[in-house]
Amino acid sequence: MTKAMTPPERMMAVMMGQEKPDRVPVVPFIQGYAANIMGMPPGEFWSDGDNYFDANFASMRLHGYEQTPLFGYAACGPWEFGGKVGMPDGSGELAPYVIESPVKTLEDIETLKVPTFDGPLPGGFAIADRNAERCVEMGMPAGFQAGSIFSAAAQVADTNAFLTWVITEPDAVRMLMDKVSDMFINALEYFANKFGAQQCMPFQAGPLEANGMISPDTFRDLVYPYNLKVNQKIKELGIGAVLMHPCADQNLNIPYYVQMREACDWHGRYIWIFGPETSIPDQMKAFGDHDIICGNVDPIAILEKPYAEVVQLCKDAIDEGKDNPGGFILTPGCEFPADAAPIKVMAMMDAAEQFGRYE
Amino acid sequence: MAVADIYHAILAFKHKEIADLVQKELDLKTDVSGILNDGLIAAMDELGRQYSQGALFVPEMLIGALSMKNGLGVLKPILARTNAQPKGIIVIGTVKGDQHDVGKNLVAMMLEGAGFKVVDIGVDNDTAAFVKAITDNNADIAALSSLLTTSMPAMEKIVTELKEQVSGVKTMVGGAPTSMAFAERIGSYGYGGDGPEAVETARKLMAL
Repeated sequence: MTKAMTPPERMMAVMMGQEKPDRVPVVPFIQGYAANIMGMPPGEFWSDGDNYFDANFASMRLHGYEQTPLFGYAACGPWEFGGKVGMPDGSGELAPYVIESPVKTLEDIETLKVPTFDGPLPGGFAIADRNAERCVEMGMPAGFQAGSIFSAAAQVADTNAFLTWVITEPDAVRMLMDKVSDMFINALEYFANKFGAQQCMPFQAGPLEANGMISPDTFRDLVYPYNLKVNQKIKELGIGAVLMHPCADQNLNIPYYVQMREACDWHGRYIWIFGPETSIPDQMKAFGDHDIICGNVDPIAILEKPYAEVVQLCKDAIDEGKDNPGGFILTPGCEFPADAAPIKVMAMMDAAEQFGRYE
Repeated sequence: MAVADIYHAILAFKHKEIADLVQKELDLKTDVSGILNDGLIAAMDELGRQYSQGALFVPEMLIGALSMKNGLGVLKPILARTNAQPKGIIVIGTVKGDQHDVGKNLVAMMLEGAGFKVVDIGVDNDTAAFVKAITDNNADIAALSSLLTTSMPAMEKIVTELKEQVSGVKTMVGGAPTSMAFAERIGSYGYGGDGPEAVETARKLMAL
């Protein structure tokens, strides 16, 4: 009987791409859920790197999945640039949220200072740093946020104003995108210097560039150049793996992600977690020969459907993606719902065990 | 110069010109209801139609809504003097535990653009906040918005409690994690998946 791989061995196999893992790895994209099952108030979880790591590590041990603790949050940007975020109190919001954006007028963009990383780290990066230290101490990658630039910029500024500036003041949007991308480049240099490029796994995630928000032409003109700038830096630093989460429906943006990969002459592995709106065959067609794609079960279905239906949805994803040449990981199509029942993680694990075997 | 100029300027996203165009029409003694219905509201309906077809996106809709706001800013004092009635009064807000407001703001502006009086109570609202706004404004409809799956239970709670605490008001819900099935399950009278759909739902709830 073949010995089962450990979670790190399984993840290493899919990342290296030279041998098949024993089964499909499971990365449930867990963040706030870990606080819930620890009984930890979400504010304590999100505001302290040790708490964040401890809860995530406990969830890893409890469920045995392959995901390692990875700090980042959807409201990234305003705090780091001198604005304010609120920490969730558990009454509904389960992640940090924007209280005050530092950019309220076009003039504010010109005077906005790019956060530096040569002293106290800006905003959430201090929390990410502590979480990364704990990860690296235990042989896991240092995960931190390096995008999405557009979603961060849209929150560094008042979001409604920013979205109108996309039409009326594109040069101002470019100036802000440039400054936000410089912040992420500063973060990349900091983490690569501290932990070593090969130990880093940055991730880029954001919903505001989705096709329901902006047009593909706007993505091409205002998003793509800055995505390319940051990803070229990732390559230059020698970082080999990046978790990409184009959130929500970004089907019409896929050609630009392909173009970015080619323009970077990318040498490593992207792990693509698209929203459930993107079919697995479409992902395989775009990235399957080189990159790891993820099957991308609808998080709302995970939250609302019973165990057996979640297992079936996971099986469907595994059946479609398991033999992707670049590798496949079972994931939700966005963050695992923080208030989902633990049996839903078990459903993902059971599906991988029952239907994701390679031997 | 004609009402059609207002219509076309809105479709061309010339939001800064709308107030002047509306004032010029008023100076020419053009009927106020014609400016409102054939200029402003018709243009917003057309923007909504193009948005629903995927030809326009949120930034364009926000510019359109700014046009509407600029035009209404000129018309409102006159409409108030003529005692013109809105098509309905709608209290709109994001539910407790949810701080997101881009979608809610867009829906609010489109509802206003369709001729409704909109009372926007902002984000993070519990039942008491909705009840107060509904009572204070004698509202016909309460529109509840949510972006997060975590705030869906709050939406259900508010819909249930509004039925118990306020008579005569109809609820409609919307936002990324919601659906028609969800709206039906929690007993909401209506559902709006996006701005134009919310306008249509509000019109149906008001039997317009």
